[in-house]
Amino acid sequence: MRRVKLTASLERVLRVFLTDVSALHYGYDLMKAARLPSGTLYPMLARLQEQGLVTSQWEAPPEDAGGRPPRKYYQLTGEGVRVARLELAQAASAAPGGAGRGARIPGTRPGAVPRMTRPAPGNAP
Amino acid sequence: MTSGPPGPSRAGDHPPGRRPAGQRLAEYLIGRACRRLPGEARDERYREWTAELPAILHDPRVRLPLLRTVRALFFAAGISRTTRRLRRIRVRAGRSGAGASLGNDGRRGRSTLRRVVVGLAIYLAVLTAFVWYGQTGGSRGVPPLVAVVLVSGAAFVAFCLNDLARAKEVRYLPKWGWAIACLIQVPLGGILYLTAGRIHGDRS
Repeated sequence: MRRVKLTASLERVLRVFLTDVSALHYGYDLMKAARLPSGTLYPMLARLQEQGLVTSQWEAPPEDAGGRPPRKYYQLTGEGVRVARLELAQAASAAPGGAGRGARIPGTRPGAVPRMTRPAPGNAP
Repeated sequence: MTSGPPGPSRAGDHPPGRRPAGQRLAEYLIGRACRRLPGEARDERYREWTAELPAILHDPRVRLPLLRTVRALFFAAGISRTTRRLRRIRVRAGRSGAGASLGNDGRRGRSTLRRVVVGLAIYLAVLTAFVWYGQTGGSRGVPPLVAVVLVSGAAFVAFCLNDLARAKEVRYLPKWGWAIACLIQVPLGGILYLTAGRIHGDRS
């Protein structure tokens, strides 16, 4: 099982990726959508790519784009989608408990900490 | 082609006159940043990152052209941080990989500790000799001794700062941290840098 440490910025990037799993994102697109500077985004992408959670591919040279150089596009791998959903679900289930993972507070509402619910990717903002 | 340094000459598709000065400056900065990467990644990353610049410079959501140029330059600054971070990750990975294959991971930690202890011992020995000489030598011996200490201290700091400036990579602290340590604790900071922070044979 691959481990990723879910920081706030990583969470935002994963949410952007999960809004449409099949979509291809180039770097500036991700920067705008996740509201991250390039100095944060690209090291994160490199790490995710090293872990096999993200793949990249070069765009076919666009002949009709007025000489725009080809871009590199990023996308989650199948493993990346699985890990990202799991991590976001765990973060979401840990947050309402307020006491991190495995919060067992007697007075909480029943069902406030649902384990292993599969979040629909379309729900992400 | 892969080993060639990236630079403005790489963007051969565009007539140079058509690209605005801001874009050329950002390309130059990205090229500088990419020099930190190893040869095979350098060229690819340069192409990837400079290909983002047209999107930034023609972003319809940002009205002012000047603001778009500023954003492109911020992008290039972030790329510089990125390559620095990537290099650090690579250095760490290479070192831990070598340590694991040679099985001397613990020994490296111990040898660092030993060097720190040796450095501290030298410092204490010099300090003790200085105090002892000052006590036995009386008032007549002090002025030349002070001069010697001052000159050698200044020379030592100069040596450490020169060494630090030429080092590609240092341990435990960033380079500016070691520079401050060398300056504020005149013998001790420099001794600690030379014994602990310095990576041998890593000079430019």
